[in-house]
Amino acid sequence: MGYTIAEKILARAAGLEGAKAGDEIKAKPDFIIAYDFPGYTDVIFKHMKDEFGIEKVAEPERYALFIDHMVPAVTPQEEDLHQNTRDWGALNGVPVYERKGIGHQVASELGYATPGAFAVHFDGHISQLGTFGTLAIGVRRHLLEAFVKEYIQIKVPETTRVNLTGRLRPGVMARDVFHHIVRTLGPASCRFQVLEIGGDALEHISIEGRQTINCLAMFTGAITAIMNPDETALSYARERARIDLEPVFSDDDAEYAAVHEIDISDLEPVVVVPPSPANTKDLKDYLGTEVQVGYLGSCASGRLEDLRIAAEVLRGKQVKPGFQLHVVPTSQEIMEQASREGVLTDLIAAGAFVTSSSCDYCFGRLGVMSDGQRAVSTGTLNVAGRMGSPDSEIYIVNAAAVAASAIEGKIADPRTYLDG
Amino acid sequence: MTLKNLHGRVAWIFPEQDFDVDQIVGVKNIKIKDVDELARVAMSSRDPDFAAHVKPGDLLVGNHNFGYGHPHYPPMIAMRKLGIAGVIAESFSPGYWRGEIAMGFPQIACPGILAAVERWDELEVDWQACIVNNLTQGTQVPFEPLPEADRQMLEAGGLIGYLHARDKSDAAMEQSQ
Repeated sequence: MGYTIAEKILARAAGLEGAKAGDEIKAKPDFIIAYDFPGYTDVIFKHMKDEFGIEKVAEPERYALFIDHMVPAVTPQEEDLHQNTRDWGALNGVPVYERKGIGHQVASELGYATPGAFAVHFDGHISQLGTFGTLAIGVRRHLLEAFVKEYIQIKVPETTRVNLTGRLRPGVMARDVFHHIVRTLGPASCRFQVLEIGGDALEHISIEGRQTINCLAMFTGAITAIMNPDETALSYARERARIDLEPVFSDDDAEYAAVHEIDISDLEPVVVVPPSPANTKDLKDYLGTEVQVGYLGSCASGRLEDLRIAAEVLRGKQVKPGFQLHVVPTSQEIMEQASREGVLTDLIAAGAFVTSSSCDYCFGRLGVMSDGQRAVSTGTLNVAGRMGSPDSEIYIVNAAAVAASAIEGKIADPRTYLDG
Repeated sequence: MTLKNLHGRVAWIFPEQDFDVDQIVGVKNIKIKDVDELARVAMSSRDPDFAAHVKPGDLLVGNHNFGYGHPHYPPMIAMRKLGIAGVIAESFSPGYWRGEIAMGFPQIACPGILAAVERWDELEVDWQACIVNNLTQGTQVPFEPLPEADRQMLEAGGLIGYLHARDKSDAAMEQSQ
């Protein structure tokens, strides 16, 4: 029997000829990535020194730090945290990237999504590096292990394979595809596994759309997602790649825990209703629900195709008076391109509040809602209190639907506003 | 080192699938740092007398995919403060699992547990045999063995202890080579 892409990457990282699901191995991550956040990086730096007597990491080129939460800082404590991160980076020779955008996206722009590489982060949304054939796992506080040890102990995960077939209709986006996968397979379907996504539909889904899908893998229970990189993915990733690695691919006779076929041809826009990312419903059943806030951004969505379609919906229209539409491009590189294309101009002219890239609108640090308010959002999550008051609600929809709902002040079908 | 068997009563059964543990303290309390305060608000929406009835060593029982969503640490910090010694569930969400194992807090994946227990039943978790003994009902349910790293982490009382233990075992391995 052959190997999955995840098995091949972990075997290589462990210096083994081969590794199969269930094997307990010690693997060396090629990249250790984190954003600074209280309880994570500050604690890791402290434990490294106080508990393990390690002043500096041994191979700084393997590490990358991002400052993307609490940007810009609103309290001196937040700025202290950032300064501590900058100081630690300078001492260790580890790059600290700030004000470049959301780290999970910027990591790909900067070549940490090297095809065939193994990366770890404390945050599971790093799974989106899987778009480029990188195995990127969020390990929460276990990340400390990768700061004090060369190798981390890991059980090679099983893989569930999902083959997407067909082509999306206009106004239906990658975001809908992901939540449709959760609806079809269930929120526990891939627990502790790798979600490997393939199928002939992928060639019609942009790199950005694939990043969206892979970013959210955790809501199927998976510990990450990955795709066998095609030419489009490789051409993006190879010129940026930070290390020289041969891309690897799943064998035709690889063993999977399960294989599912999902046809996306007839898929309609969906909405994920509060308070759980498991609640995928048809958008059409929620049309007319009053909403006061719209958020277009996050590490999941907020890329060029999201901004472009929102601009298409809003061009020549106006955001409903009193409605708060926050547009936060996923990275500064994306924002610059959107600016060059006139996309931001259209959004601003329609009344959107457009800001530089930051994670802060997604987790209720900026643009917070009060009791009883409702948002349409492309953020990662819709649990209670995520974007402000525990008594506010978040309806997750695609970027076009956020824009359409901003016009009406109600959950709206974006296809009404799109040509063809 | 071997893990000490757990022995306690079923202090609560969470029947919900995909249970979001933040509900234990309530989202509005999730940012409370004071452990006593957290313990005071824990379970107040489900059973106001929970803290009064729970005893050190008691256990929680959950359904499938326990810990789904975006789990924070305070709910189980509160539970440990109240004396809860572990969670037995049909299955777990990996993010929650990893987070609590790193805290040295035993989690037991035990398909069939929900049908096998009632509240206040007395249980024993036998790590060696991988069996949950229901001492009240005289029944047994097998559970899934822990992955090696997770077992070592629980034995060492959490992530830090585990990494220190690794220091010693890695050094021993280097010496023997």
